[in-house]
Amino acid sequence: MDAEALEIIHQRPIETPLIAITGGKGGVGKSTVAVNIAEALVQSGYRVALADADVDGPDDHILLNIPLRNPLDVTCTLPLIVDAKCTRCRQCVDTCRRHALFQPKDSSPILIGECIGCEACILVCPSDAIERGERTVGKTYKSEMEYLTLFTGELVPGVEESSFVVNALKNRVLNEAKDSDIIIIDTSPGAHCNVINALKGSNEAFAVTEPTPLGVHDLNIILKLLQILHIKASIILNRSDLPGVRGQIEFVSKTYDANISVEIPMDDLLVKSYVKGVPVVRMYPEAESSKGISRLSKEIAAKYIK
Amino acid sequence: MKLCVTSTGRDLDSTVDFHFGRAPYFLIVNTDTMAFDVVENTEQGTGRGAGISAAQMILDKSAAAVLTGVIGPHAFHALKLAHVEIYEGLSVSDTVRAAVEKFKKEEYRESLEPSGGIGRGRSFRGGR
Repeated sequence: MDAEALEIIHQRPIETPLIAITGGKGGVGKSTVAVNIAEALVQSGYRVALADADVDGPDDHILLNIPLRNPLDVTCTLPLIVDAKCTRCRQCVDTCRRHALFQPKDSSPILIGECIGCEACILVCPSDAIERGERTVGKTYKSEMEYLTLFTGELVPGVEESSFVVNALKNRVLNEAKDSDIIIIDTSPGAHCNVINALKGSNEAFAVTEPTPLGVHDLNIILKLLQILHIKASIILNRSDLPGVRGQIEFVSKTYDANISVEIPMDDLLVKSYVKGVPVVRMYPEAESSKGISRLSKEIAAKYIK
Repeated sequence: MKLCVTSTGRDLDSTVDFHFGRAPYFLIVNTDTMAFDVVENTEQGTGRGAGISAAQMILDKSAAAVLTGVIGPHAFHALKLAHVEIYEGLSVSDTVRAAVEKFKKEEYRESLEPSGGIGRGRSFRGGR
């Protein structure tokens, strides 16, 4: 990707450091790690904004045991065709890449299929016959605690426009998190467009993984994506003492020049805290997992918080 | 009448195709004379909305009815709006010619409600 494109992708309105917690694979502990890093930073006295960008199934609020508050609707454009202005030229029908519009004979086009709000129809209409309606595709929330503010994106079930919700969440965080010392963004699994939207503008991304064949495979994909996006990548090796394919994780780490920044062993105390809905760094600060996460949080703070 | 039959090929001896939106060809057959036009389905492999764009294509050819195997809910809706009659359930091994003959013998009944079909089309979305 060329430098100009990268600059556009990563530009953002505020200087607050932005750290992403990601990882190609689901179920590796991204949210648990994100919540605990946020909590550890709070314990060190920083004001933290945590953004839950796993909009298909946000659960950071469950891990933190706090309610979702201050909802705002996320909408996308729904074309409204004004029959009186429509000249039946059909350019909108022919332009729609989703083939969502249909034009019966002697009628203005009708929206039948699945519109994703791209507005191409509005752009091509030569007679301004298409107005912008709105369709709700999700919500963002802001739940404030003393030093931690949780922002959550939530997609309406069955709706496809997850990246609209991620972008709306990102905008809200960047606009309302001016008072925070650092922003932690917890992405969804995968390496698709809404993960990319969540990663944009990050100072560093931590890819959470585990020493299993699936973990290695998906780590490879996410590190490749981070390389393309020119985002500094590090690895968090969760369940590090699983009798698995550690050597392969180390190989991928070397290949992409992404250090293993912390290893979190399998830890009964972590599981106990998880079941209670309390971050392990708060409930059991003496646990092995807590020590590793707290050390990493201090390193992140030293490196990025001015 | 002008009857649109979904087809795997370009002539009356081609085997019919079962899926409306994803058929490679539409033969627009004049049931009185058996003269026909061939419409290639250029949106056969499209991500979404193949049924709606197919409906638009055959409407442009002024077909009064469609004979196919199964039709999705979006295309069904579109064709109903355009007052095109819909006949589903053709035999997969028939040629277009045989299907039209059966149609003329009134072996198919008009579909008045969407049968369900596929509808969500083919997805380009990987993962979430």
